[in-house]
Amino acid sequence: MTKLAIIYCALSALVIFSITTAITIGPTNINTSELINCLLSTCDNAITNTVLWQVRIPRVLVALVAGMGLAIAGGILQNTTRNPLADPYLFGIVSGAGLGATIANITLADNLSIALPLAAFLGALFSVIIVVFIANILQRLEQLLLAGVAVSFMLAAITQFILYFGEPFATNRVIFWLMGSLARVDINNFYVIASVLIVVVIIAVGLHRHIDALLLGDDSASSLGVNVEQLRLLMMGLCAALTATIVAYCGGIGFVGLMIPHIARQIVGVTTLRLITGSALIGAIFLIWVDVIARSAMANAEIPIGIITSALGSIFFLFIMYRSRAIT
Amino acid sequence: MSTLINVSQLSWQIDSKFILNKVSFEVCKGEVIGIIGPNGAGKTSLLRCLTNQTNLLNKQQLSGNVFLKNRNLTTYSSKEIAKHFAIVMQKNENIFSLSVSDVMAMGLLPHKTLFSLNNDHDKAQIILALNKVGLEGALHFRFNALSGGEQQRVLIARALVQASQVLILDEPTNHLDVYYQHQILQLVKALNLTVIMTVHDLNLASLYCQRLLLLHNGQLLADGTPNQVLTSNQLQSVFNLPCRQSIDSINGATTVTFYLPERKSRKTKNRVVKGD
Repeated sequence: MTKLAIIYCALSALVIFSITTAITIGPTNINTSELINCLLSTCDNAITNTVLWQVRIPRVLVALVAGMGLAIAGGILQNTTRNPLADPYLFGIVSGAGLGATIANITLADNLSIALPLAAFLGALFSVIIVVFIANILQRLEQLLLAGVAVSFMLAAITQFILYFGEPFATNRVIFWLMGSLARVDINNFYVIASVLIVVVIIAVGLHRHIDALLLGDDSASSLGVNVEQLRLLMMGLCAALTATIVAYCGGIGFVGLMIPHIARQIVGVTTLRLITGSALIGAIFLIWVDVIARSAMANAEIPIGIITSALGSIFFLFIMYRSRAIT
Repeated sequence: MSTLINVSQLSWQIDSKFILNKVSFEVCKGEVIGIIGPNGAGKTSLLRCLTNQTNLLNKQQLSGNVFLKNRNLTTYSSKEIAKHFAIVMQKNENIFSLSVSDVMAMGLLPHKTLFSLNNDHDKAQIILALNKVGLEGALHFRFNALSGGEQQRVLIARALVQASQVLILDEPTNHLDVYYQHQILQLVKALNLTVIMTVHDLNLASLYCQRLLLLHNGQLLADGTPNQVLTSNQLQSVFNLPCRQSIDSINGATTVTFYLPERKSRKTKNRVVKGD
């Protein structure tokens, strides 16, 4: 077996271990034998049964696909833009989703369970369309991220304006939603995120050579027969849709798309196929455990997951900067 | 020798300025052609038009035709073009630490379908190409850690993996020291491919190219053997410097030597230094 295969196997084993362990951790104790019993036949205890199937399993599975999705979106964007700092969040996706959620909260307060994710999704797509539109005018790759940051701030400003003058209860709801949480997810959310994730992965894996060709510059890719503009637009659209879906259900979970591909690159390599596989596995492990911390670190309360990922992410960011300074 | 590429009346203009002005020439199979001329003469633009890498250019102001094997280049798909032309660029933007084998595998792209992985045959081809450019055992080295000359050789090896008939090089000897300049050009010549490259160093061009195209302000001023093209009159008018043609006593190649005129410098008036 090659070194790479061993790494993939070890990471996959860790993913399975994380899923099964994370399911047993929480206010209601479920030990391993009970878990096996419940999974293979029926639970002896009705409460355990409900907790397991209605709460724990959906939550861990959403953490799994959300972690995979955010990390993969980050990895693909970084390779297609040749920018190690590209992150779906920097393209204004979260602020767009926030604006959509805010508008939904204020105008459609009655039917929020469907309207909120839908509005967040539309808001996210709206912001990405603006960013891509600006980038198309600028025609400069380096300015894509700057355009994203600018759009991000603009949309956040509009959101805050609406929230400031909005009803306090709705404002609270949006602010908590923006902090990110897996507390309200159900199994249907998992199915939706997983389907979008599968579509994105299939297309990206199909085009893995094309994305790789971009790594040595647009001219180089073009000389190999790649339609650079189309490919970049397609990949940005896909990553935006994937991130928007995740944000719609889970709220703002920052830094995963920035941090995880960085780690994956060190472990498995930089080419697209390796980066996607590595990011998916590491992202899944990361988010499952962060969610475990979010729901069990404090006795009577949950910490919003976005707060933990942002805190870890910013420390990681500074660490990378420190290390790269040491190298150069 | 059979004609491979036929360029006829190729022009490209931005507003009223001609980047290329009615350029016509033919390329036969197996020729090693050097495109020479001063900065901004249109050398790189000509390479772009030749390979239909014109997505950055304003296509409306392009006119004339390029025929590849008697078929208009615009009728080829980008994948077909990539199978015919391998291009070694002057500038690469490698941010992530790609390995040599990652870079080489890019050359397989025009020959592979979606979803395909590298099989044993592909890997053997990559190793073969690497051996051809004299970089045995460098497969797992970091591309960024290689010297400029080694990177250039890896890119030429990538072109070999691409298995195209024509090798296009944009300033292959840029930023290389004398040893690597000769090494790269010797390698290019020994590949027995049709080669079209832009070269700044006229003496290198003379030594390694069978045929030279002299461009000036987008126009093709001369097309012929180094001895025919590198005449002192022609070069003097293009480069604005007096020059002398001679034959090298050791390798028999045409060489040119430029010398600065006594007072006048090129195009600019002598500056008056204040305070004198």
